[in-house]
Amino acid sequence: MLRHLLKLTWQRKTRNLMLSLEILLAFAIVFGIAAFGLRYLQLYRMPIGFDGRDTWSVQLRTDGAEEAIPADVYATLRRGLMELPEVREVGFASYSPYRNANWTTTWKSPVTGAKVRTNIMQASDGVAAALGIPLVRGRWFSSVDEGAAVEPVVLNRRAAAALFPGVDALGRQLTDTEDGATRTRRVVGIVDEFRHKGPLMAPDNFVMTRFAPLARKDRVTTVLLRVAPGTPRAFEARLNERLKLLRNDWTYEIAPLPAKRAAIMKEQLVPLAVVAIVGAFVLAMVAFGLFGVLWQNTTQRIPEIGLRRALGARAADIYRQIVAEQLLLSSLAMVVGLLLLAQLPLTGALGASLDWTVFGAAALVSMATIYLLSLLCSLYPGWRASRLDPVDALHYE
Amino acid sequence: MLRNYLLTAWKVFMRRKLFTAINLACIVLTLVVLMVTTALLETAFFPTGVEGKSGRFLQVYSIYSESADRGTQRTSRLGWKTVERHLKHLPGLERVAALTGANQVSVYQGDRVSELDMRRVDADYWKILDFKVLGGRLPTEDDERAGRMVAVLNETSARRLFGDAAAPGRRISVGGQSFEVIGVVADVLHMNAYADIWAPLTTFPSTDYRSRETGDFTALLLAKNAADLPRIQRDVERAALGFVSDDPHRFALTRFWGDSKLDVFARELLHNYDQADSGGARVLALVGAAMLLFMLLPALNLVNLNMGRTLERSTEIGVRKAFGATGLQLAGQLVVENVLLCLAGGLLGLACTQGVLWLLEQSHLIPYLEVGVNLAVFGCGMLLAFVFGLLSGLVPAWKMSRLDPVHALKGNA
Repeated sequence: MLRHLLKLTWQRKTRNLMLSLEILLAFAIVFGIAAFGLRYLQLYRMPIGFDGRDTWSVQLRTDGAEEAIPADVYATLRRGLMELPEVREVGFASYSPYRNANWTTTWKSPVTGAKVRTNIMQASDGVAAALGIPLVRGRWFSSVDEGAAVEPVVLNRRAAAALFPGVDALGRQLTDTEDGATRTRRVVGIVDEFRHKGPLMAPDNFVMTRFAPLARKDRVTTVLLRVAPGTPRAFEARLNERLKLLRNDWTYEIAPLPAKRAAIMKEQLVPLAVVAIVGAFVLAMVAFGLFGVLWQNTTQRIPEIGLRRALGARAADIYRQIVAEQLLLSSLAMVVGLLLLAQLPLTGALGASLDWTVFGAAALVSMATIYLLSLLCSLYPGWRASRLDPVDALHYE
Repeated sequence: MLRNYLLTAWKVFMRRKLFTAINLACIVLTLVVLMVTTALLETAFFPTGVEGKSGRFLQVYSIYSESADRGTQRTSRLGWKTVERHLKHLPGLERVAALTGANQVSVYQGDRVSELDMRRVDADYWKILDFKVLGGRLPTEDDERAGRMVAVLNETSARRLFGDAAAPGRRISVGGQSFEVIGVVADVLHMNAYADIWAPLTTFPSTDYRSRETGDFTALLLAKNAADLPRIQRDVERAALGFVSDDPHRFALTRFWGDSKLDVFARELLHNYDQADSGGARVLALVGAAMLLFMLLPALNLVNLNMGRTLERSTEIGVRKAFGATGLQLAGQLVVENVLLCLAGGLLGLACTQGVLWLLEQSHLIPYLEVGVNLAVFGCGMLLAFVFGLLSGLVPAWKMSRLDPVHALKGNA
């Protein structure tokens, strides 16, 4: 039966070539969108490395000033904010989580000597408590580190594995070579993960350095506050009032982290929504086209169908033939498509964003979509063909 | 001759109404997507209305500095000092305005917190951009000089803050500073005009901004007429070459450019801060290529449908061939038919585009979007339809022209 169908398909190869090309293209588009969406789902289910549900961020806007802020200003800010009854903890960081920004630096691995690029964030002693960062091993920064000869860093697991492959990173030293000056640091703690841009950020190497305004003149402009659970949004007005009392010439951008999380998720999901809408348009067009072509095909093959009916084929057989032929054609196109698309994870062209899990799931989703589409489009032409009266069909033309 | 083609085309289209409908639906769907994109791009880069003078002004958006060995680089918005010293006094300009980016601020009303986007702008800003004033007035040079704490709201924000009550005359607390609302303007999305709330520059909590070479400012340079723009671009380039940084050891070379909207977008996208060419042409070419690529699948679809129809018409083709029509003439006829269908689809698509854009505006998916189909979009749409018709008509036409008349007459191609 299959051989017979293959023969029938081969005999109409020019027309079928164009049709399969179209199905192939549609398959590739659906695959792309499915892979995009499934990768996001995969990322969403990974841990992000901090809690942040009861954390607020305050961005200090100093109107273009770029000079260092003295250590006593930070001390005053911290003291002044801790006095508020809602505030449980205050930390300073170079940027807030859920912000679409990248700060990176290059480190030299002391084990292999290779250059390793990582995200970097300066964070004060209070940040781990303010954000709710669980440490897997070691400890977070504290006043013990004040004035220490070697500055402490905290790595995520991925960065530890990249910088110290095969050895335990805790307690070891590493150097960075930014700005020409070489600085040595010591690993004091390891966190499981830290994905500052939120649940849709691809896992990356992350290094946190200690913010120590006493030791070195510096400037970080994000304050992270741990507030009491259930603090209402109206707290913002009082917080702003307090900040204005502490420093009147700055302005403050205050936002609870859950609000920032919702905003960045929306921003990251918009491209997916746009391609999905365009993809839906494309699929609708393919459905129209497929339906039209199948209709034409069955119309042209009326004499053939009449002959089969006259020789004893039942209506259901005809119906099955039309649908099976279409599904066969779709399968052929998709096999070619899969062979082409499999090159992506094979060559690693897209890195971790298209691993075999995502590839397999996306292939399944897109195959199901195309099969469903083919089935829907061939149902009516097939039904129409099966309803033909053999006598009329033989006399057609 | 063309009349004959038209008549035949009409007859063919009417004979198979379902296919004509399917063909049209494909064409309309494709063109709607492309025309909505075109209309959005047109509004973004060549707007009418508030930023209608875009053809006459340039904007200096970023300032780029690098060290002598190119090891340290810095890109940022402009500082007030840079605008004041290097751009305000360029010769032959009608006006120069400085505006900050639209930054998020919180407006406190008792227990309520509303998040709005705020710009601080100078008095010339209101003269370069043609805002539609719905109530009250716009800030003047006098307000700016006196440092009055006044603010302008847009329509949506005024309604959000004060309901249906008149906003002018009311006071609001923006991030701890108290402002008097003096005017309400219509909502607008354009690049420099977008904001919810505007205040004069002099309402900054401190005057530090006046001494910064980098900051949060963009400058708009309004020329007396569009022909002056190339000269002004050269002047801006020269001004950048004469720029001496506050920290000349760290940043030996500074660049900034007078750009059109498309140039600003392309420069930010491609990071072409250190060369005169913004890459705008490249971005446009990429957009065009993406559009052609998007047309590929529906074109293939149409090819499939048309091929079926060609076979149905083999008798007609046989007769015409037998009477001496050349392959080229036949191919021409089919292409003309196809292009006609596409143009009809284009017209239909234009109506649908209008509908989609209206829906998009109503949905508030993009805040303050106001986009319409104008002559340029119409022309673009028709051009797209024409290209699409050619693209999808050529293969079937070529196949049709190669039919052997003897076989074609018998109807078994």
